[in-house]
Amino acid sequence: MDAISNIANAFIGLFSAGGETFVGWVTGIIPTVICLMTAVNALIGIIGVERVERFCQKITKYTILRYTLLPILADIFLTNPSQYTFGRFVKEEHKAAFYDASVSFCHPITGLFPHANAGELFVYTGIAAGIQQLGLSTGGLAVRYFIVGVIVILIRGILCERIFAALSGKKSA
Amino acid sequence: MYKTITIKAGSGGWGGPLTITPTETCNKVLSVTGGGIHPVAQAIADMTGAEVVDGFKTTLPDDQIIVAVVDCGGTARCGVYPKKGIYTVNVEPVGKAGPLAKYITPEIYVSAVKESDIVVSDYKGNAAGSPASAKAAEPAKQPGAPKTKEQAKREIAEANAGKQENIVVRIGKVVGRFVNIFFQAGRDTMEMVIGTILPFMAFTATLLGIISASGLGNVIANTISPICSTLPGMVIIAFICGIPILSPVLGPGAVIAQVVGTLLGAEFALGHIPPQYALPALFAIDAQVGCDFVPVGLSLGEAEPETIEYGVPAVLFERLITGPLAVLIAFAFSIGMY
Repeated sequence: MDAISNIANAFIGLFSAGGETFVGWVTGIIPTVICLMTAVNALIGIIGVERVERFCQKITKYTILRYTLLPILADIFLTNPSQYTFGRFVKEEHKAAFYDASVSFCHPITGLFPHANAGELFVYTGIAAGIQQLGLSTGGLAVRYFIVGVIVILIRGILCERIFAALSGKKSA
Repeated sequence: MYKTITIKAGSGGWGGPLTITPTETCNKVLSVTGGGIHPVAQAIADMTGAEVVDGFKTTLPDDQIIVAVVDCGGTARCGVYPKKGIYTVNVEPVGKAGPLAKYITPEIYVSAVKESDIVVSDYKGNAAGSPASAKAAEPAKQPGAPKTKEQAKREIAEANAGKQENIVVRIGKVVGRFVNIFFQAGRDTMEMVIGTILPFMAFTATLLGIISASGLGNVIANTISPICSTLPGMVIIAFICGIPILSPVLGPGAVIAQVVGTLLGAEFALGHIPPQYALPALFAIDAQVGCDFVPVGLSLGEAEPETIEYGVPAVLFERLITGPLAVLIAFAFSIGMY
C-alpha cells in the first residue's frame, strides 16, 4: 500500500512542480505583459499602420536604415509574422537581407515590446525568469538584448545582401 | 444600372472582403453613424448608384438595405445588422466582438473601412442584393441612370441640414474613438494571452516540472550547464544551431529555442551558469531563428521566385557566420552587467 501511495505521490509531484512554475509565470509575467501589450496595441491603433508604411517606403534606400529602423518598425507595428510584408518596399536584391534582419529581430524585441512576438516570448522570458529568481534586475538585460539585436541584424542584413549578390551573380553569369 | 463594389477591411480591421451589388428593390445604404451620413456610406452609395439613408432619421424595411454602415466600438450595432442578414461595414477597427459576436462573420461583416478601401469590382459570382432580401422576388435588373454626383450631394446636404456637428459632438467622437481603440487593444491583448501565451506557458511549465521533479534536471545541469558557462561553449552552440541542414529543422515556432531558453533560465536561477552569460546565451540558442520560414517570409514580401531560390541559401549560409559572431558581440556587451 505504501509503495502504491509513494508512486502516486511521485506522479503528482511531477505535475505540482509544473503547477508552481506555471503560477509563478502567470503572476510574475502575465500582468505586466497584458498592460504593456494593451498600451502598445492602442498606440499602434492611434498612429495607424498606413502612416508607418509611408515613412518606411522613404527609408529603404539607406543601407543602414534598411537593416535597422525598417525591421524594427515593421516588428513593432505589424508584429510577427505580418512584419515580412514590409519586404515589398525594398528592392528585389535586398529582400532576403531584409527578411533576415527582420526575423532576427523578432526575439530581441520581446524584452521591451512583448506584443511584437507574443507567441515566442520564452526565448527571452525563459532566461530572464532565471535571472529574476537570482534577485537581479532584468531591465538592463532587455535593453542590451535590444541593442545587440540591432547591431546583429545590421551585420546580418549587410552580409546577407553580399552573399545574395554573389550567388545570383554567379548563376546568371 | 447598379454597379458592383468590393469593400475590404482597412488597416487593423477584420472580416470581408464584401462584394455587393444593389438591386431594384434592395438599393439603400443605411448610415447608422452619429452626426449625419458617414463619408464611407456616401462613398458606397456614389460608387454603386444606391441611395444613402440616415439611419437616425429614417427607418427602412430590412430587405431594402443593401449594406449598413456603422461606427460601433464593439457592443451592439456591429452585431445587430449581421444578425438580420444585412451586410455590415464598421468604420471602427472592431472584430468579432460584443454580445452578438457569433453573428459577425467575414462573409457579412468588414471593419476599419475607409473610403479608400472601397473599389469598383467586376466580380460576377456574388448574389445580388443582401441575404435578407434574397427571399424577395428575383429582381430584374433594369438599366437606369444612377444619380449624378450633384444630385447626390444635394440630397446629402439636405439630409445633413440642421445637423452640423457642434463642438460637443466632435469632442464626444474623439473621446469615443480613443476609448474604442484602447478597448480593442485590450481585446487583442487578451486574445493573444489566452490563445497563445497561456497555452505555451502550460506546455513549458509541465515539461519543466517533469524535468526538474524527475531528476532529469540534474543531468542537464551536469552536462549542458558547463558548456553554457564558457564563451567557446556558447560559440559552438550557436555554430551548431546555424548549420544550414540543422537550422531549418530547429526553427519552427521557435519552440526549441523557447524550451532551451526556459531550461537555461532554470540553470541560471540555480546558479549553475553565471548571470553574465545570459546575454550571449540568448543569441547562442537562437542562431537558427526564422531559418524554417525563409520562403514564406520572402513571399510575404512579394519576392520573385528567383529571389527566393537564391535568398534561402544566402540566409542559411550567412547564419553560420553571424550566429557565433552574435554571441561574441553579446559577450562584449555583457561587460559591466551583473
